[in-house]
Amino acid sequence: MLIPSKRICCDTHFCFSGLGRMDLLKELGGSSEKWFLPTSELLKKGWLNLRIIIVGAGEVGFHIAQRLAYEHKEVVVIDKRAEALRRFAELLDVQIIQGSGSSPSVLEESGIRGADTFLAVTDSDETNLVACLFANALEPGIVKLARIRDEDYTRHWPELVQKSLDIHTVINPEVEVVKTIEKSLTVPDAEHVSDFAEGRIKLVGLRIGASSPIVGIRLQDLRQKTGELRFLIAAIFRNERLIIPGGRDRIRAEDLVYFVCESEELNEVLKIFGSKADPIRNILIVGGGNIGMRLALELEGRQYHIRLIEQEMDRCNFLAEKLNSTIVLHGDGTDRELLEEENIRDIDVAISLTGNEEANVLSSLLARSLGARRTMTRINKFHYMPIIGAIGLGQIVSPRLSAINSIILHVRKGKVLSAVSLKGEEAEVLEAVALESSGIVGTPLKDLRFPKGAIVLAILRDEKSIIPDGESVVHPGDRVVILSTRQNIPRVERELMVKLEYF
Amino acid sequence: MRWRYVLRTIGALVVCIGLTMVLPIAFAIVYRDGSELALIKAMLLTIGIGLGLFLLFRGPENSVISHREGMAIVALGWLAAGLVGALPFHFGETFHSFVDAFFESVSGFSTTGASVLTDIEVVPRGILMWRSLTHWLGGMGIIVLSLAILPFLGVGGMQLYKAEVPSPVPDKLRPRIRDTALVLWKVYLLFSVLETALLMFGGMDLFDGLCHTFGTMATGGFSTKNASIGHYNSVYIDGVITVFMLIAGVNFSLHYLALLGKPSAMLKDPEFQFFGGIVIVFVVISTLSVFKAVYESFGESFRYAAFQVVSIVTTTGFATADYELWPALPQCLLLFCMFLGASAGSTGGGMKCMRVMVLIKHGYRELLRLIHPRAVTPVKLGRRIVPDDVIKSVWGFFIIYLGLFILSSFLLAAMHVDVITSFAAVAACIGNIGPGLGSVGPTDNYSHLPAAGKWLLTLCMLLGRLEIYTVIVLFVPEFWRR
Repeated sequence: MLIPSKRICCDTHFCFSGLGRMDLLKELGGSSEKWFLPTSELLKKGWLNLRIIIVGAGEVGFHIAQRLAYEHKEVVVIDKRAEALRRFAELLDVQIIQGSGSSPSVLEESGIRGADTFLAVTDSDETNLVACLFANALEPGIVKLARIRDEDYTRHWPELVQKSLDIHTVINPEVEVVKTIEKSLTVPDAEHVSDFAEGRIKLVGLRIGASSPIVGIRLQDLRQKTGELRFLIAAIFRNERLIIPGGRDRIRAEDLVYFVCESEELNEVLKIFGSKADPIRNILIVGGGNIGMRLALELEGRQYHIRLIEQEMDRCNFLAEKLNSTIVLHGDGTDRELLEEENIRDIDVAISLTGNEEANVLSSLLARSLGARRTMTRINKFHYMPIIGAIGLGQIVSPRLSAINSIILHVRKGKVLSAVSLKGEEAEVLEAVALESSGIVGTPLKDLRFPKGAIVLAILRDEKSIIPDGESVVHPGDRVVILSTRQNIPRVERELMVKLEYF
Repeated sequence: MRWRYVLRTIGALVVCIGLTMVLPIAFAIVYRDGSELALIKAMLLTIGIGLGLFLLFRGPENSVISHREGMAIVALGWLAAGLVGALPFHFGETFHSFVDAFFESVSGFSTTGASVLTDIEVVPRGILMWRSLTHWLGGMGIIVLSLAILPFLGVGGMQLYKAEVPSPVPDKLRPRIRDTALVLWKVYLLFSVLETALLMFGGMDLFDGLCHTFGTMATGGFSTKNASIGHYNSVYIDGVITVFMLIAGVNFSLHYLALLGKPSAMLKDPEFQFFGGIVIVFVVISTLSVFKAVYESFGESFRYAAFQVVSIVTTTGFATADYELWPALPQCLLLFCMFLGASAGSTGGGMKCMRVMVLIKHGYRELLRLIHPRAVTPVKLGRRIVPDDVIKSVWGFFIIYLGLFILSSFLLAAMHVDVITSFAAVAACIGNIGPGLGSVGPTDNYSHLPAAGKWLLTLCMLLGRLEIYTVIVLFVPEFWRR
C-alpha cells in the first residue's frame, strides 16, 4: 500500500512519497518526475483505501452504498435495524454494523478514524445531527454530509449548525425534489429538464406524441431537416429501455427522447419536436406535506395559478396561513367530484406529492383520465419505477432519487461539476473538465474510439457552448458534458481519460 | 362584581385627572386671565371626590380584576372623567348649562373635537388649555395612563387595557402590561414634544403650540381659534399638522418598533399599507376634484385636500377649508372616511381600518367559496390568520355600530334636526371626528342642537371612543345580574 504524503494533492490526483516503490509507479504510468497518480486507478488496484461511512440503511443509504461500492470504495453501513442491513449484506459488497449511528462506540467500531467521508442519511434529522457531532469529535477533519429535512435547521444553518458541527454539505431531499419539479415546469411538456454550464445548455426529456413531425425520421436525416438549429439527441427510452442512438436510429411515437440544446434556442427546438408551447399556468398539487407546501411557496408569485388539495383539515388551516395566492382545498386527491369541481380539464400539470405512493399513482391516473395535460407523481419505492411507464403515468419525481443525486455529486468532489441521473439510475449525465492529458483532447469526435453507451453532448469553451458533431474537437481546458450508461462510467473515464474524479 | 373595587379604582382615576389640572392652572396664573379660581376649585373638588371614593372603598390590594369588572371600571371611569372634566367649564361659567359643559368635556376626552362653543377666542386661556388637555389625556387613554402610573392596577391590567384599547388583535409590546402602557405613553409624549417644538418654530407661542399639539396627537380637533387651523393660513403649519395627524393615525406599536430601529415592521404591516393606500388615493381624488372647481392653483388644491382628507380619516377634525363648498365626490369620500377611521392602536376613532379590512377580506372569502366550495380560505392579515371568533366579533361590531348610527340619527331627526345634519352629527360623534356636514359642518358648531340631542351625542362619543362593546354591555341586563 502506498501512503499518500498528503490526503489529496490536487483535484484529480494523489501525490505520493515513497521512492522505494518505483515499480508500482511505473505500472501506473508515473515516472520519477511525475508523482501524481490518478486516484481511480489506485482505487481499482486496491492500493488506496477510501473508507466511507454511511449511517442509515434506508433507500437513500442503499443506493449510495451501491454506487460507491461499485466504484471500489470501502463502504461501512451502520443502522439499528438488522432487517434493513440484511439487504445490504446480501446484495452489496459492503461492511455492515448493527447499532445506533449516533453512538460514539459504534462509530469507533466502524473505523471512523482514518475514514474519508461520513454520510448521515437516516430518516431522522436529530440522529443525523448527533451522528455528525460525534463524527466530528472522533475524526475532526472528516468530510460530513447530512440529510436534514426540517426547514428550521436549514434556516439557521450557518450560525448554529455548520459552525459547531463543521458539516460540509446538508442535503435536503425535499428541497432537491422541489428544485427538480420547478425546473421541469419551465418547459411545458417536458418530463425532465436539467441545466448545464450555468444554465446555458439544457437537457430536456420529451415524450414524443404520435402526431410529432419527427416520428419515423432517421436521426442522420434530422439534421438536414432542421438546418441551422443545433441540438443533439442524447438518449431514447423505449419501452423502459435505454438506447444511446446512432445516426441510423429512428424516433418512434411514445419514445421518451432526451436532447441537448442551447437554452436560448429551446423554444424553436421544441417546435421541431412538435411540442405544444403553451406555457403552464394552472397547477394542481395533491398533498400538502412538506414537499407540497415548499413547492407551492416556491411557485407562488410567478405566473402560475396554484391549487393544493390536502386531506387533513388542520393541515389545511396551517397551509392556508403559510400560503398566500394558493387556493387550499380540503379533500382527497382521488375524489373525482372534487377534481371535476376544480375544473381538472383546464389544469396544465397535476402533481401528486402525498406520502402515500399508491394514492399518488391513483390520483395522477385519475387526473390524466379527466383531462389534465400532464402529471407528475411522487414515488419513493424504487421497485415501482419500471412499471410506471407501463401504466402511462408520465413523469415521476422522487425525493430520494434527488437526494442520492446530490449526495453522489458532493461525494465526487473534484472536477465533476454537475451530475444528473436519468430515468431512475440507468444513465448519468456528467459535466467535467477535459484535462490536457485526456484522450478526448485533440481528435475529432468521429475518430475517437468511443465506448458504446456514451456520448459527448456539449463542449463548453470560455463563454461559447458548442453542440458537437463528428468534426468537433475538444481542446484542453474545455468542459464537456457526457452522457453515459452507468456501467460505462468507469470505461468512459478510462478510455477517454477525462478523469471523472472519484476523490 | 365587587363594586368596592370598581369604585375604588375609579376614585384613583379621578385623582389622577384632578392632578393634571395643574397645567391649565399654571397657564391661567401666567396669563392672569381670571380663570385661576374656577380651575383651582374644580381641581380641589375633583381630587376630593377621587380621594373620597378611594378611601371610602378600601379593600384588599392586588386582587385580580374580572372581565366584567374591567369593563365596568373603564366605562364608568370614562363617564366619571367626563363629569369631573366638565367642572372647570362649569365653575368658569363658560356655558350656560351643565349639559354643554359635559358635552364639551366628553368631546375632549373622547378626542371627538365637537364643540358647543360659539366664540372660542373670548374664553380664558386656562379653560382652553384644560379643554385641549382633555384631548391629550383621552387620546392615548386615561386607563392606559393610569396603568402606567398606578402600580396597584398591574394585576388585572390586561382586562382594563383590553376594555379601553379594544383592537381586534391586541398586541402587548412588553411582557408586563404596565411597561406596555409606559412605552405607549413615552412614544406619545415624544411625538407631542416634537410637534410642539415644530409648531413654535412656525410662529405659534407655547400656549397655542401645546393646545394644537394636544388636538393633533390625540386626533381630537379642538383649536384655540374660531377658524381652526385656517386662522394661521400658513403652509408650514398646515404641513406639520398634516404629518402629525398621520402619525397619530398609525398604530403606536408600529411607531415603537420603528423607534427601536425596525421601520420595516411598519411598512410591512398590512393595516398600515391599507391606511396609507386609502390616504393617498383619497388625497389624489380630492385634489383633482377641487382643482379648478374650487381652487385656482394645483398646489393650493393639494394643500387643502390633503389636510382635510387626513384630518377626517384620522378622525381629528381640524379645518383649513370649508369642505361643504367642495364638489359632491370629495364630500362623499370624507363621509366615508368618518366611518372608516384610523388604524387600530392609534389615537384615532372610527371603525378602524383593521376592522374594515377584515370585513372586506371576509366578503371576498365568501365569494371565493362560491367558486371553490371546498377551499380552505382563512381571512389573513399579512401572514397572520384572523381567527373566526375575531371575524364574528368584527361583524358584531359592524352591525352594532351601524345600528347605533341609524338609531341615533332617527332620534336626532325626531328632535327636528334636519336629515343631513342628523346623519352627519351622529357619524362625526360616534366616529370621534368632530365636524360633520350640514349645520354641524367645519364652520359651524353643535351649540344649536337641543339639549336631549347633546346628551345623545355625548353618549355616542363615549360609545365610539371605547369602541362600542365596553359601553354597550352596561345596557345589557345580564351584565348587572349577580
